[in-house]
Amino acid sequence: MTKRTGVFVCHCGKNIAATVDVKKVAQDLAKDDGVVFSEDYVYMCSDPGQTAVIDAIKDNDLNGMVISCCSPTLHEKTFRDASELGDLNAFQCEIANIREQCAWVHNDMDVATEKALKITRASVRRVQHNQALEPIGVPVTRRALVVGAGIAGIQAALDLTDAGLDVILVEKQATIGGNMLKLSETFPTLDCSQCILSPKMVSVSKNSKIKLMTESEVESISGFVGNFKVKIKKKAEFVDPELCKLCDDCTPVCPVAVPNQYDVGLTNRRAIHIPFAQAIPASFTLDEEACLGLDPVVCGKCEEVCDVGAIDYDKKPTVTEEDIGAIVVSTGFDLYGMEHMGEFGGGRYPDVLDGLQFERLCSASGATEGHIMRPSDHKVPKEIVFIQCSGSRDPENHCAYCSKICCMYTAKHATLYKHHVPDGQAYIFYIDIRSGGKGYEEFVQRSMENDGVIYLRGRVSKVYEKDGKLKVMGVDTLAGRNVEINADMVVLAQAMEPSKGTAEIAKILKIGRDKDGFLAEAHPKLKPVESVTAGIFLAGAAQGPKDIPETVSQASAAASKVIALLSKEQLAHSPTVAKVRDPYCTGCEMCVDACPYDAIALVDGKASVNEVLCEGCGSCAGVCVRAAIDVKNVTQLQVHEMISAIMA
Amino acid sequence: MVNVEEIRDYAASLLEKEEVKAVLGFRRGSASAFAEPCTITEVGEAASLVWDPTCLNNLALYLVKDRKQQAVAKTPDNRPVGIVAKGCDSRAVGVLLQENFFKREDVVVIGVSCEGTGVVDSNKLSDKLKGKTASRITFSGADDINVSVYGDETETVIPAQEILADRCLECRAATPTLHDVVFGDTVEARDFNEPFHAAKEAESASEDERWATWEHHFDRCLRCFACRAVCPMCYCHECVVDSTTFVVTLGTSAEEKANRIRWCERSANTSESAVYHLTRAIHLAGRCIDCGECERVCPVNIPLRLLNTKLEKEAFEMFEYQAGHDIEQASLLSSFRDEDPNSFIR
Repeated sequence: MTKRTGVFVCHCGKNIAATVDVKKVAQDLAKDDGVVFSEDYVYMCSDPGQTAVIDAIKDNDLNGMVISCCSPTLHEKTFRDASELGDLNAFQCEIANIREQCAWVHNDMDVATEKALKITRASVRRVQHNQALEPIGVPVTRRALVVGAGIAGIQAALDLTDAGLDVILVEKQATIGGNMLKLSETFPTLDCSQCILSPKMVSVSKNSKIKLMTESEVESISGFVGNFKVKIKKKAEFVDPELCKLCDDCTPVCPVAVPNQYDVGLTNRRAIHIPFAQAIPASFTLDEEACLGLDPVVCGKCEEVCDVGAIDYDKKPTVTEEDIGAIVVSTGFDLYGMEHMGEFGGGRYPDVLDGLQFERLCSASGATEGHIMRPSDHKVPKEIVFIQCSGSRDPENHCAYCSKICCMYTAKHATLYKHHVPDGQAYIFYIDIRSGGKGYEEFVQRSMENDGVIYLRGRVSKVYEKDGKLKVMGVDTLAGRNVEINADMVVLAQAMEPSKGTAEIAKILKIGRDKDGFLAEAHPKLKPVESVTAGIFLAGAAQGPKDIPETVSQASAAASKVIALLSKEQLAHSPTVAKVRDPYCTGCEMCVDACPYDAIALVDGKASVNEVLCEGCGSCAGVCVRAAIDVKNVTQLQVHEMISAIMA
Repeated sequence: MVNVEEIRDYAASLLEKEEVKAVLGFRRGSASAFAEPCTITEVGEAASLVWDPTCLNNLALYLVKDRKQQAVAKTPDNRPVGIVAKGCDSRAVGVLLQENFFKREDVVVIGVSCEGTGVVDSNKLSDKLKGKTASRITFSGADDINVSVYGDETETVIPAQEILADRCLECRAATPTLHDVVFGDTVEARDFNEPFHAAKEAESASEDERWATWEHHFDRCLRCFACRAVCPMCYCHECVVDSTTFVVTLGTSAEEKANRIRWCERSANTSESAVYHLTRAIHLAGRCIDCGECERVCPVNIPLRLLNTKLEKEAFEMFEYQAGHDIEQASLLSSFRDEDPNSFIR
């Protein structure tokens, strides 16, 4: 077939045109073999630009085209859609990236123009060997998995069921609710955290479309968007939640006491315990690690006193495999460890607390029933120092990023403190105050003006104990003087970091993480809730530090993405998949090992590709020393042609 | 010390019990003191098998050739084959098993330990004998080798270090790990050169010196493809860097025929030869078991072993990977570990 290729060079306003002579690129390519149309335009992706493309396809009877513009992640779909509108198969359209890979990284116009020309020419040579392909239709499982049942996971699960989808909600802990369950009041309205969260938790437990799996973790995943198979491991359920009637006869007899993680270590709990009185599922649970060996000969006291026989030490962990269409990952955050803050006495002095511990002190469900007192001597602290950016914004020693919520929660802590201890004095050390958000700035102003909180702009160098007081050595840079405060209590606004296990779940689900370890979104602006893997979405603080309103928004956004995905009858799978050249295949299985999607198997001694599983990544083509496997439209021949075009 | 009678008896019994259709081994050569490969199919022939420091060849090559023949035979004979294998040869069988070229039950590995020595390098021997021709070369039982020359049947004892092939001096596994039976003592460490000695030495030259050396070698390459022909790992139907063996089947489209790619031309010029040898080296990374056959058969003495051992050195230092040591292991090229030293993979 005669090659009739069209070339469209985009200026991208000045983004490309400032560094690349786009007119020259278009004119030079017009002279290439098989190129019958070559034009430039200021915004190719705009309506007139796309119309020009469609018209050019029809007028010139094009059978291939190259759009020389930005990255294909941005506009490949745009132009492939335009291609279809011009009756040219979408896969006869290729993108040559002359923006990110050329214009943006060069200053010299001659060099950049030369390079843009070569990049485009390589794509022209490639597209001239492209096959027309049709997307592969694959069925969809209309069921979603939500990993992590904090406020993000709860919100996403509820939204998904509202759309009629079935949801499996997996939580590692014994209760859902996550970190929000530990909070006292929430900024800027100071409504009680439990009062707004508990009803949602109850909705989860009463929702017949949600299968709640606490003390469970995702073990492995296979399959692909719309058709995942997920193995979920549930810890042994020693206490039957159906039978447990919350009588609390078991805890008094339990001889083991361990720090209570739900009170952030401020109190102890028994091996058999209920995380919160309002826990969902409403049941006691047995901490396998703390329990005296689960051996009735050693202890077995709780089983003896349980009237209803809810306790069974012989239970084993279970692994279930579930069919899933899409996944929301909302594994939340942990606070950056206090042990890193040696200079502030973190982990050394009992009266140096982190933000979550202070929340527990303020909370009616906490150990002190909402009375703020020092853990060391139970006295009411009269002078309290809050240190912001503890571990945040410190690339040399701690986390480089801003944890975003600490300015607000510290203002809230100071306000709550003044409500509890009206004659006390609160000081806040800050770098600067970031109170962007509806009603946030007013809240901070109120804490200064109404509650007399003293804000000191500067950092703290050291906190040490002297005469029963915590001596805080800081600096007030606005006044230009050193500050020493004899505090009764110090609260560190610890940085947020991805929860423990984020790295592992990212590895299992094959989704990326950013430099700070948070889950990576597919595009920072245009795809903020999508992960890099199709069908897996992100919500909440696992993706980056954020407060409750933002978390809930993102959870609903992720849910709506899942709903949109699973509302289709069939999903279109890209047909640019691997293809085996049978005569060359020796059945060495290297591609089988290399395939990250388990899409290749040996059939009669030759590799065979499952086109639905294949993502076209080309790992197989890379390892095959016999060049016996190719990805459609990125064949060896095409790569050879592209290299020749660039090297010429 | 290996008793050759044991090898003969074992081979004979395999044939007698019809456990194998043939045994690949070595017999006395007709031209010189060096042994030559042979295929034994009759019990009576087993008596001609020999074992001495001149059993140079990697017989795994003939396993590959047999499999290829049977694959196109009208009435294929897929009965197992026995093979006399040194440490390196058994690793070759290991890589072929890893790559599914045949199954474990298709081969009976008659392992022979090189014990304290290995095989001789004919060039080193010639230098040593100063123009005389060896008539008999045998193991002494210790770290040296007995050599007699024509016209003078008194045996000279030459230290192994002086005439062993370079690969034997660097060998870390002189006893076959993969085997059905093994003759000779298991040897752990030997007191010759450190592993990758030659490659390390070559690396110590400056970049310019190295480039000049290799340019010189590639310039001399005749492109006779003996290195590829003798390599048991070069079993592809079509060589990527030499498309003269283009496979045409009913499924080959006209476009494929028209568009066959020539990554590298056949002409023996420096640049094309460099592409050929470097591509071959890359394709052998994690697969080369250092039998040294490519270097031995090169008519212009290009030190090809250096290219391959350099890559094996990288494989070992970066990934602790040793080709052919564990047939259960995924191939170097097709696998990755989470603790991979490179972060881009995560």
